[in-house]
Amino acid sequence: MLHVLESTEKELVPSSQSAMAVVKPEMKSYIWLQTADGSIQQVEEEVAMFCPMICREVIQTGTGSSKNYAISLPQRVNPAILGLILDYCRFHQVPGRSNKERKTFDEKFIRMDTKRLCELTSAADSLQLKPLVDLTSRALARIIEGKTPEEIRETFHLPDDLTEEEKLEPLRNITDDPRIRLLNRLYARKRKELKEREKLKNVEVEEERVDDRSVDDLLSFINGGDGDTKGTRTNKNKKKNRRRKDQSKDSCLNSVNGNHNEEMHDLHSTCHDGEGNNGLLASASTSSKLQDSAAVTFSSKLEFDDGDIDDDLDPAMKEELDREVEDFARRLNSVWPERMQELFEGRKLVPISLNGNSSMSRYTSLDQR
Amino acid sequence: MGDTPDLDLISDLPQSIIESILTRLPIVEAVRTSILSSKWRYRWATLTHLAFDEKCVTSTNDRTLVENKLINFITRALFLHQGPIHKFQLCTSFLTSCPDIDQWILFLSRKDIKELVLELDENEWIRVPSCLFNCKKLTRLELSRCELDPPSTFKGFSFLKSLKLYQVYVASDAIESVIISCPLLESLSLSYIDSLTLNIRSPNLKYLCLEGEFKDICLENTPLLIAMSVAMYMTEDIAEHMEQSSSCNFIKFLGGAPHLERLIGRIYFTKYLTVGDDPGRLPIKYINLKIIELYQVSFEDMKEILVVLRLITNSPNLKELQISSSSNTPAAMEATDLDFWEKECPSHCIFGRLKVVKMTEMSGVPHEMEFIKFLLENSPVLEVMSIAPCSFVTEGRLNMLIELVRFRRASPRAEILFIQN
Repeated sequence: MLHVLESTEKELVPSSQSAMAVVKPEMKSYIWLQTADGSIQQVEEEVAMFCPMICREVIQTGTGSSKNYAISLPQRVNPAILGLILDYCRFHQVPGRSNKERKTFDEKFIRMDTKRLCELTSAADSLQLKPLVDLTSRALARIIEGKTPEEIRETFHLPDDLTEEEKLEPLRNITDDPRIRLLNRLYARKRKELKEREKLKNVEVEEERVDDRSVDDLLSFINGGDGDTKGTRTNKNKKKNRRRKDQSKDSCLNSVNGNHNEEMHDLHSTCHDGEGNNGLLASASTSSKLQDSAAVTFSSKLEFDDGDIDDDLDPAMKEELDREVEDFARRLNSVWPERMQELFEGRKLVPISLNGNSSMSRYTSLDQR
Repeated sequence: MGDTPDLDLISDLPQSIIESILTRLPIVEAVRTSILSSKWRYRWATLTHLAFDEKCVTSTNDRTLVENKLINFITRALFLHQGPIHKFQLCTSFLTSCPDIDQWILFLSRKDIKELVLELDENEWIRVPSCLFNCKKLTRLELSRCELDPPSTFKGFSFLKSLKLYQVYVASDAIESVIISCPLLESLSLSYIDSLTLNIRSPNLKYLCLEGEFKDICLENTPLLIAMSVAMYMTEDIAEHMEQSSSCNFIKFLGGAPHLERLIGRIYFTKYLTVGDDPGRLPIKYINLKIIELYQVSFEDMKEILVVLRLITNSPNLKELQISSSSNTPAAMEATDLDFWEKECPSHCIFGRLKVVKMTEMSGVPHEMEFIKFLLENSPVLEVMSIAPCSFVTEGRLNMLIELVRFRRASPRAEILFIQN
C-alpha cells in the first residue's frame, strides 16, 4: 500500500518545495479501476480498499496505482453498479459511525428496483464484499417472502417452463396448495369424461377420429374395470378400422406407429384371451418392441371434445386443462412400456401422478382377468 | 411469458447467494420456489440450513391435524432433500413425542449434521434416540424438554463446541461424562435440570450458563472460563444440604476460573457462595474480571456481604459493578455489626479501574449505605454511581439522599445519579 502512496506522490508533487507544503494536505491517493466495458475511473484509496477483492489485487499484484495499470473488475460489475458499490463503501469505511447510523444508511441504500438489486448482489459477490451481499440477500428474501409463485415469476422475469405435472410432483401434499387439490379434481373429472365417451362411441365417429383411436384403446384399456365385454367389442371394431387407418397418416404418426398398432392389437388380444402365461410371453416381446419405438406414438393432438367439459371452467382453466391432458398423454406414452410389463406380471402399479384410488382399482381389476 | 433467458434476473446468481436468500425465507416458501421455473426446481433441496416450526403448515383449531400436517411436511422435505444438512432446527409446541422424530434424527445423523436444535411441546418430553449420539460432526446441540440417556458406548462429540440443555431429564453423571468427553466444548448452558450435582471438567470451556435448582456445582477444571452467568434457585432440601456442607462453595465455584472476565449471579447465587468456610484471603486474583453483576444480594446477611467484598477486592481491574439488593426487611433496617466494615475492609483497597456502579432495588438499609460509602471512598476513577431505590421505599428516599450527599468521593468526576423512575 505504501508504494501506491509513494508513486502517486511522485506523480503529483511539483518540484518546488513551497508548493509541496500547499499541495500535500489536500492530496489523496487514488486507485484506478476498470470495468468490463473498458471505462476506467479513479476512486479514493480508502473507499476502494474496503472491497476485499480490490484490496487483494492492490497488495498482491500492485495494480491500480495508475491509469495504465487499472485493476480489471469482474464482468458482473458495470459502471452504474460500481458507483452504487462505491457509495456503500464510502459510507461504511468511515470508522466512527454508530450501528444505528449504518443501519439507517443500509435501509435507504437498499431501496432500488429489483433488477438493480439483483445486479448489485451479483457484483458485490464478485467483489467479495460480504456485508453488502448479506444486505442484498436479505432484501431479496424480503421481496420473495409472501408472494405467490406468479408474482415471484413476474418480479424476476422467470420463465414458467415447468409443466403442470412437473409442478405437482413430487411436491404433492407437501405444500398444502389448493391448486394441487383442484388439479387432482380436474384430472379425475377428465378421466370420468373419457369413460363416458367410451360408452357413447360408434364406428362412424371413430372413423373420423383417426388419430385418437389408439389413445382411446389405451384409455379404455386402463379404464376397463367393467369393460370385459365392452373392451372386446370396441377392440373388434378397432381391428377392422385400424387396417383402413393404416393408410392415412397424421404428421405425428409414421410407420413406426403402424407397427405399434399391430403390437397394440396383439397386446389387447392376448390380454382378452385371458391366457396368463401366453400373455406374459407375448408381452415380453412386444414390450421390448414398444420400448424401441418409444418416440411419440400418440398424437399430441388429442381431440377431446371440450364442449363436454365443465361449463364453469373459465377459458384460462380450460386451456391449462388441455395442456395438462396433453402432458399426461405424453408422459403416459413415455412410461407405457414399463407399465405394460408391470400390468402383465400382475404387479401393482404406482399411479403416475394422479390420485391413487381410482386408477389403482382399475389396474388391479385388470390383473384379475 | 415468453421472456428470453437473459432477462431472468435472479436464477443465474451463484448458488451460495441463492442459498443465502432461501435460508432467510420461511422453509415453506423456500420449498415453494421449486415451482417457479425449471432452474428453480431443486434449488431449495440443497439448502444446508433447515428450520421448521408450526408456521410451515396452515393453522387450524385442530391440534392433531396441525401435528399430522407438520410431521408430513417435515418428512417429505427431508426425503426430497439432497446433500448434507448442516443445521436443523425444530421449535414447535405442536409436536408431542412421536416416532417420526426418531427417524428424522436418524436421517440427520447420516447427513453430517452439525447444528441441531430441538424444542418441542412441554407436556410430553421426548426421549432422545440413541442415534443422536452417532452424529459425529455435531458442533452445536440444543435440546429442550427431553430425556437424555447417553448409551454406555458413547465416546463423546469430538467437535461439539456448544451445548445447551433446557429442562432436560438427565442424570448428573451422564451430563458430567458428556461434558468431559467433548474436548472442544466452549459454551455450556444448563437450565432447569433438577438436582444436579456436577463436577465440571472442561478444559476449553469459555462460557457457562447455569440456571435452576442445583445441588452442588464444582468447576473442577475450567481454566479458560471467560464469562459465567448463574441463577441458583433454592428448594428446601438444597438449603438443608447447603447448611450441612463444609466445603467452601466460593472456592469450588470461582476457584478454578482465574481468567474470568464477566460474572453474573442471580437469585441465590451470592447466598450459594456463602456456604462453607470463609475462604479468607483468596489465593487468586481475578485480573481479567471487568464486569460483575449480582442480583438479589441480601445486605442483611453478613456472609453475603463478605462474599461480595471478597469478590470485588480480588478484582483489581474491575470496571463495572452492578448490584441489585433484596434487603427490604425490617431486620435489615436495624443497624447491626456496623463495625464489620472497619474490620473486614482492607484499608489499602483501591478500585483502580472502577468506572461505573449501579445499585438497584435499594432500600436505604444501613449496610447498603455503608457499601456505597465504601465504594465511593475507594474508587478514584469512578464516573457514574447510579442508585435506583426499590419501588416500595417511598419515605426513606430522602434519608438515603441525605446520607449520600455526605459521602466522600475519591473521584472528583464521580456523578451520583439518583433514579426516581
